[in-house]
Amino acid sequence: MKKTVQWIILAVAAGILMFFPALFGIYFTNVFLTFVIFALFATTLNLLLGFTGLLSFGHAMFFGVGGYGTAIALERIEGLPLILAVLIGVMAAVALALILCPIMVRVSGTAFAMLHLAFGQLIYVLALKLRDITGGEDGIGGFDIPPFSIPGVVSVDMTDPSNFYYFGMIVLVGSLAILWFFTKTPFGSIMVGIRDNANRVDYMGFKVPQSKAVIYLFAGGFAGVAGSIYALFQNLISASDAFHILVSFVPVMMTMVGGIGSFFGPVVGAGIFGILEELTSRYTEQVELVMGLILILVIMYAPMGFLGIVQILKEKWFGKMSQQAGAEEAS
Amino acid sequence: MNILETKALYHDFSGLKVLFDVNLEVEEGERHAVIGPNGAGKTTLFNVITGTYRPSEGQVFFRGKEITGFAPHKLVRLGMGRSFQITSTFFRQTAFQNIRMGILSKRGIRFNMFRMLDKMDDVTKETDEVLKRINLDGERDIPASALSYGKSRSLEISMALATDPDLVMLDEPTAGMSVDETHTAVELIRKLTEGKTMVIIEHDMDVVFSLADRITVLHLGAILATGKPDEIRDNQAVKDAYLGELEV
Repeated sequence: MKKTVQWIILAVAAGILMFFPALFGIYFTNVFLTFVIFALFATTLNLLLGFTGLLSFGHAMFFGVGGYGTAIALERIEGLPLILAVLIGVMAAVALALILCPIMVRVSGTAFAMLHLAFGQLIYVLALKLRDITGGEDGIGGFDIPPFSIPGVVSVDMTDPSNFYYFGMIVLVGSLAILWFFTKTPFGSIMVGIRDNANRVDYMGFKVPQSKAVIYLFAGGFAGVAGSIYALFQNLISASDAFHILVSFVPVMMTMVGGIGSFFGPVVGAGIFGILEELTSRYTEQVELVMGLILILVIMYAPMGFLGIVQILKEKWFGKMSQQAGAEEAS
Repeated sequence: MNILETKALYHDFSGLKVLFDVNLEVEEGERHAVIGPNGAGKTTLFNVITGTYRPSEGQVFFRGKEITGFAPHKLVRLGMGRSFQITSTFFRQTAFQNIRMGILSKRGIRFNMFRMLDKMDDVTKETDEVLKRINLDGERDIPASALSYGKSRSLEISMALATDPDLVMLDEPTAGMSVDETHTAVELIRKLTEGKTMVIIEHDMDVVFSLADRITVLHLGAILATGKPDEIRDNQAVKDAYLGELEV
């Protein structure tokens, strides 16, 4: 019974996603794609924050390096296929994670947060100063978006927004699916183990720094995917879009508001922020003011975020049954 | 043959000498108790052996192989398990998930990213069997933090044993338990360590004398005496330093 309901919901959701551009028009399609980009970005942060207990104040660097990687590749290399451009962005983010992880896996808590803040700011400044490569404050824009092509089979024009929507959605939702699966493998267990009691993980026979490194590479690499798609989608990437400290805070806020305790919390958080931005920007420029207020309320009254509230209500209404399911989810 | 041996082990914390020339020998298959007054260095000895600290001086051997300063995960893989005096479970995870970590480790499933954990039926089955053996099958899906004290101590001990070690180091497994709980715990330990070598730190003399084959008495960081329970009971130095106070 429960299974059938789940499948019906899934089918309806898939149907809506499939025909989104036709149903809601180009404007909302773009809004929706932005939401999914940030949903993936926030989910990669939650891999560190919610699952492994590591708060990062510099997660934007992976997002930004992914975006810059793709943009620079497209600007410099003639006739680069779309998939390769995305891959170059992702590889750049993974490379950055590889460079940083020997330091980062050995720290946690405040040191982890502050080191990310420092490196994030360093890269922000580098993006501003290395004008020859990054275009300085203007960033890189107006690069050609190549068509998605399989030679001899198809060639789809990616400058068409609804075509790009499909490409972006496949990459982003595919990434979310991979990350979801990742949390369900034994690694998911190791992640929450490190969060709850890293010392005991060691005493159970697991290598803590090495495990953390793998998690870190996943988080960084997939943040790079989000950044790469963002750069392609905007056809522009600039230092303030990619590396600014606020870009690091956005996924933290989304995760807190959506719910830190579950995989889909950041997705919900990104949705809440997307809707809020849509609504408030009609009346005021100060969108951040409203979001800040909501963040304060969440931290004070709903530390487990929106999904935490849903969980509490579920327990109230359906009692013990959902409580057990909740324990599974929260782990 | 000695499964565990320390040679001239010294440890000090920035000048504070905690261990002094400790030569511990644990034979394969025996139940060895380490006793001594508070501050004698029992837990430090455990920490130095199991890789929490590297000893200041001296060597540790496991099955004749030097393991001085090995990291805990390495020792677990060699076949050494350890439980903690202060309960150290994954408190937000269920009893089932806690034990499952040990089963995964035992089976060498560590860096597997291609199979879902819930689909590993053999792991689930074995974890449930362990839970049944330790009478926690009724608390399977309860977070470790919500277990009663006795149950969470059982979980603590069982996690050390879930990796199926040949040598188990139990640091005060019955600490803070009521008489009834202690009795249950001792029976559990007896059952679970069947056929294994065990080193146990314990304050409860009833537990020590009923469980141990041999006893080492640690006093002010040095070994005062080692021997069979009867020998220790009759040892004058031990009586003076420790047992005398307890009128055993």
